[in-house]
Amino acid sequence: MDTDFTADLTIMEEGTEFIKRVTSGGVLPMITSCSPGWIKYIEMYYPDLLAHLSTCKSPQQMFGALAKTFYAEKKGIDPANIYSVSIMPCTAKKFEAQRDELTDSGYQDVDVVLTTRELGRMLREIGVDWDSLPEENYDDPMGLSTGAAVIFGATGGVMEAAVRTVYEILTKQPLPDINLTPVRGMEGIKEATLKVGDLDVKVAVAHTLGNARKLLDKIRAGEADYHFIEIMCCPGGCIGGGGQPIPTNLDVRLKRIAGTYKADEELPLRKSHENPAITAIYEQFLGEPLGEKSHKLLHTFYVPRGVYSKPEGLPDKVPSDDHH
Amino acid sequence: MATVSLTIDNVKVEVEQGSTILEAAKQIGVNIPTLCYMKDINAIGACRICVVEVQGARALQAACVSPVAEGMVVKTNSAAVRASRKMTLELIQSNHPQECNTCQRNTNCELQALSEAMALGDIRFVRPAQSHSKDDIDNSSPSIVRDPRKCILCRRCVAVCEKVQGVKCISTMNRGFETVVAPPFNQSLNDVNCAMCGQCSLVCPTGAIVEVDDTGKVWRALDDANKHVVVQTAPAVRVAIAEEFGMEPGTLAQASWWQPSPPRL
Repeated sequence: MDTDFTADLTIMEEGTEFIKRVTSGGVLPMITSCSPGWIKYIEMYYPDLLAHLSTCKSPQQMFGALAKTFYAEKKGIDPANIYSVSIMPCTAKKFEAQRDELTDSGYQDVDVVLTTRELGRMLREIGVDWDSLPEENYDDPMGLSTGAAVIFGATGGVMEAAVRTVYEILTKQPLPDINLTPVRGMEGIKEATLKVGDLDVKVAVAHTLGNARKLLDKIRAGEADYHFIEIMCCPGGCIGGGGQPIPTNLDVRLKRIAGTYKADEELPLRKSHENPAITAIYEQFLGEPLGEKSHKLLHTFYVPRGVYSKPEGLPDKVPSDDHH
Repeated sequence: MATVSLTIDNVKVEVEQGSTILEAAKQIGVNIPTLCYMKDINAIGACRICVVEVQGARALQAACVSPVAEGMVVKTNSAAVRASRKMTLELIQSNHPQECNTCQRNTNCELQALSEAMALGDIRFVRPAQSHSKDDIDNSSPSIVRDPRKCILCRRCVAVCEKVQGVKCISTMNRGFETVVAPPFNQSLNDVNCAMCGQCSLVCPTGAIVEVDDTGKVWRALDDANKHVVVQTAPAVRVAIAEEFGMEPGTLAQASWWQPSPPRL
């Protein structure tokens, strides 16, 4: 099945969370929470800013939680016998999967994470012939996805995907230009302002932790007037992740980004809220975005770690139990 | 833009002032070999593989850190240059475990590729014991394994961690053969401020920093008839996995065939 399905789901949850924060005076700017290296970094270096993070789990962890609940139920399989494997461009995902709190299915939601390199090794071990592989669809019920999910892989992609959905939910109008080009590309920090109804939504996108630090320092200083920030840990976003094939250099990153946007353009559906499998999972299992079941399975909290030890005066987790 | 003219391997070349010999040579299609250099991130002349002969200079110069000058005459492949590079490589190899066959980076290792290209042959210098042993391997982290035995001290990992990520969780310690790239006080990676991003594993020219290999766990689960294995693949994997099979980066492993269909739940 496909993490892209839960990337679409992330957009539904995160988009709804964003709308709720904007309309009800929640903590802004809201910052994305998909990238586990980024999450560990902010927990260590900016534990005072954790309330800015979206409470959404990463697509990997949403998938893990659903595999041992929704999928198990659907297939009539005892979740104890499900072994959940994810293939990620990322080494930090191995750490994320082991986090104590990511066990909302009643089990460890994701059992093991392989990098792209490790998958390559396994396929070569059994002599897979790349050229003669038949084309197949991902399996249901978590296999359908949109172009909005594919672009999660490139820096700026989560923001673009979120805008495609948030705009249409809020204004009930089709988005005039689906391509949010100002947030694409390898520039370290990108900004855009978008008219959504009466509101000028100001967004920023950063990749690499070095660039993330610049935005976080602005937030700390009270100088960040953004509504929504996307941060990815690795240069270029996940396509340049620490688990990707070697070499991964600037030239290779640009080619993977080009492949990503090409895939988006070729897919018949490019907006997460138009994914019929997403509509169906809300109807059949989850209820509604931010609903009770979503809250339990798809959202999480963060742990103020500090660089060397937990800083004094901060709660054990954010949001604390009163809010979560 | 001020430019400088120089001669590299008998070819005249005009480059921007402030360029390095390495960059100038690249402009005329001369690829000087490097092990520690990374464009914009690590140009420190540490590995000495990129040495070139500069007419009138007292010693061979590291091309990655030597700026060009007007009228400079450079030879990138003289006998002295080739002998020096080969000796440097031989000395690096003399303190490197000769276990390429079983290394995760086998056939995708810059040190191995260079040794092959330079026809290194037998390594004449044998140390009674190498600087680091298997006991020094740090496998505390769920994400990354650090094996100081295979480290050639190029400092690319240090540079990417500090300059790109601003994390600075590893740096060089000690001197001479005892030199090691490690977290402060040689703590375990799992106990320090590592974000586990693995950018260090992407830039390592050898197998000194690699991902934790969990393929065995997955094979065991696949072989277990009682287990129902569920697999998900991330968005960024589909534009990269083809590279593991020698295809062009960005080749899509998904979906010209994607058909919208009624929800199939």
